[in-house]
Amino acid sequence: MCVRLESYESEEHQKMVRSFLDGRFENTAFCLLAPDGETRLSGTGRSPSQGLRQRRGPGRGRGDNGVVEAMEKVAKKFRAKGTKEGAILQDFHSFRQGLNVASGDQRLLIFVVATENDRKTLGTDLRDLMSDKEIIGKFHMDFADEEPDSQWRDAVKGERGKTGIFVIRANAFGQTGSVMEQLPVDATPEELKNALLEANTSFAKTEKRKVYSEHVAAGRRARVHFENGMPYGEDRDGDGVIDHRAGRGGRGAGPEAGERRGPPAGRRGGPPRGNRRPGQPPQRPRIRPGGTE
Amino acid sequence: MKAAHVFWISIFSGGLALAQGPRPDDLGASPQPVGEAGVAWYTTWETARAEAERSNRPIFFMAAAATCSGISGVF
Repeated sequence: MCVRLESYESEEHQKMVRSFLDGRFENTAFCLLAPDGETRLSGTGRSPSQGLRQRRGPGRGRGDNGVVEAMEKVAKKFRAKGTKEGAILQDFHSFRQGLNVASGDQRLLIFVVATENDRKTLGTDLRDLMSDKEIIGKFHMDFADEEPDSQWRDAVKGERGKTGIFVIRANAFGQTGSVMEQLPVDATPEELKNALLEANTSFAKTEKRKVYSEHVAAGRRARVHFENGMPYGEDRDGDGVIDHRAGRGGRGAGPEAGERRGPPAGRRGGPPRGNRRPGQPPQRPRIRPGGTE
Repeated sequence: MKAAHVFWISIFSGGLALAQGPRPDDLGASPQPVGEAGVAWYTTWETARAEAERSNRPIFFMAAAATCSGISGVF
C-alpha cells in the first residue's frame, strides 16, 4: 500500500523526511517499510529509483531501473491478510490540503461532512465502494474535521445543507472548488457509485492535463501563494536550518531547490541502515578507534 | 493495469529527475489521462499505518511537495 505525505504540511512530516534522509530535509523522500511502519525494507533517497538502487545496483531491470521488480520482490515476502474491501479509507489532515492535492493530481475530491456517529458508520460502510475496481485510484477522499475544516464552505461553491457527501472539483490552484455532486450521508452504495462515475466522466471530458511549467508560470503571474504548515525551503546540509531565503522553495524553486550543488551529505550506496523509526532523528556516527560506524 | 504502470513509471522518472534537480521548465504534463485510475494514496501516516497493519502489506512511503515556489495545485 502507498502513502504520500505533503512535505511542507507539518513539522511531523518534516521529521519523517529527515529520518529518511540522514537528517537532511529535502522536498521528496522515499522508502519501503514493513507493515509495522518501522522496519525499513529498502534504502532511502529522494526517489524510488534512488532508494531501491541502493540495494540492487544501478542499471538493472527494466527502463525504470528495476524499481517495479524490486517492489514486487519485497511485496512477495508478505502474505496479505484481510480483504481489499475492508481497506481503511483515505483521509487528509485538512480539507484545505485535500483540495490542493486533488488539484495537483487532477482528481475529484470526495468530501464527507457528517455527524460523529454517521462518520463512524460511513468510515466502515464506504470501504467496499472505495475498493471497487471502477472507483479505486480515481478520487481523493477526506472526512471533515471540526477544527481545521470549519471554514471549508468559504472555499467551495454550490454546496447545500450541513451534511452530505460532496464531490468537489478543485480549481487550477487547489484553493477553491465547486460541488459537482452532493449526496445525503444515507445514500446507497449504488447511488454513490453512479454519481461518482458520472462526475468522473464529466470531469475527464472537461479537465485538461496541466503542464507543470505552464502552471507554475501562470501561478507566478497571478501571484498565487499557498500558505503551508511549514516554511518553504530545504535543509540540504542537515544542520536543522532551512538553507535559503524564506518564501521560496517547493519543488523546482529557483537555483536553491532546482539544482543539486554537489552530492547530498548523506549516504549514497550500500545496504539500508538500521531500523530507525520514522520521525526519529538520525543518530550521529559513533567514533571508535580506527574510524566510525 | 497499463495506466497504473504508466503512472508508476512517471513517478520513478519524475523522482529521478527531481534528484537531479529539475526546474519547473523541465517538467511537462503527466502522461496519465485525466479520470483514469492511478495510485490509491493514503495521505496521513495514521491511516496508512493502520491499513498496513490490517492488511499485512508493506508500505511504499513517499513525501513530496504539492506546491512549487508556494504555487499550489501541482504534485
